[in-house]
Amino acid sequence: MNCEVAIILDHKYEQLQQTSDDPMNQVSQVFEKSLQYVKRFSRYKNPDAVRQVREILSRYQLAEFELCVLGNLCPETVEEAIAMVPSIKTRGRAHDDEAIEKMLNDLSLIKKFE
Amino acid sequence: MFLKVKLPWNVVVPAENLDAKGPMLQRSIVIRLLDDFARRKATKDLGYFLAVTTLENIGEGRVRENTGEVLFPVVFSGITFKIFRGEVLDGTVHKVLKHGVFLKCGPVENIYLTCSKMPDYRYVQAENPVFLSEKNPKIEKDVVVRVIVIGTKWLEAEREFQALVSLEGDFLGPVSCENPLD
Repeated sequence: MNCEVAIILDHKYEQLQQTSDDPMNQVSQVFEKSLQYVKRFSRYKNPDAVRQVREILSRYQLAEFELCVLGNLCPETVEEAIAMVPSIKTRGRAHDDEAIEKMLNDLSLIKKFE
Repeated sequence: MFLKVKLPWNVVVPAENLDAKGPMLQRSIVIRLLDDFARRKATKDLGYFLAVTTLENIGEGRVRENTGEVLFPVVFSGITFKIFRGEVLDGTVHKVLKHGVFLKCGPVENIYLTCSKMPDYRYVQAENPVFLSEKNPKIEKDVVVRVIVIGTKWLEAEREFQALVSLEGDFLGPVSCENPLD
């Protein structure tokens, strides 16, 4: 998920800062652009919050990519979640609307109390 | 989407860096690995190489006879970025043209959203060109747009990906500031 990657890339950048005076010069374009992107688009900044998000999403038997898309895009309604990740409704995994709604509610609670 | 990958790799350490034993050797292997990683930029299967997270295992070194370098087979974990068809993601507009806009998302700059995949939007020529719509917010430079990826392409020559995206779908289109102050 973007927020997890943000923590990792930030850490790497700090490591670089400790070993040289001008870290921006050392990192590749790819790294720099990715760092900017994840920092801008991560919904959860606090590492504990990020851990909680992963924990909550892991309880629902989701495939890894479904977990990521939900964690990155943070849909607010069940309809939105199904539009983003249609596969959560298929495959007969008993993900009924209530379960999805509960999951989304839990996620938005974390965001509020971050 | 960001992927966590575990890869075997062959790190070649030139003879000059092999003087000391122990930690110095490991450090020079790590440095070479990071260098190689950064230089490779991307591959078709894994996407753009971003960072190395852990070095799992360093194997026995083998000396290359012609050059005197030592080849170490290592296994490491790292993070890569790759775009998939069917994925929904947020991109930032960086160029507006008559027939569509270009978005960038992380390291990928060539994400094209053609006007035929932007239902209800029309092009407005201006000093700062925009795409306007009756019901939806306008699309112009620096706007964040949520899109769905309909196709990707790997360009071997430039070692980069291109993607074709669309706004045809529910909940797609310009999104408001990603960190709203509630």
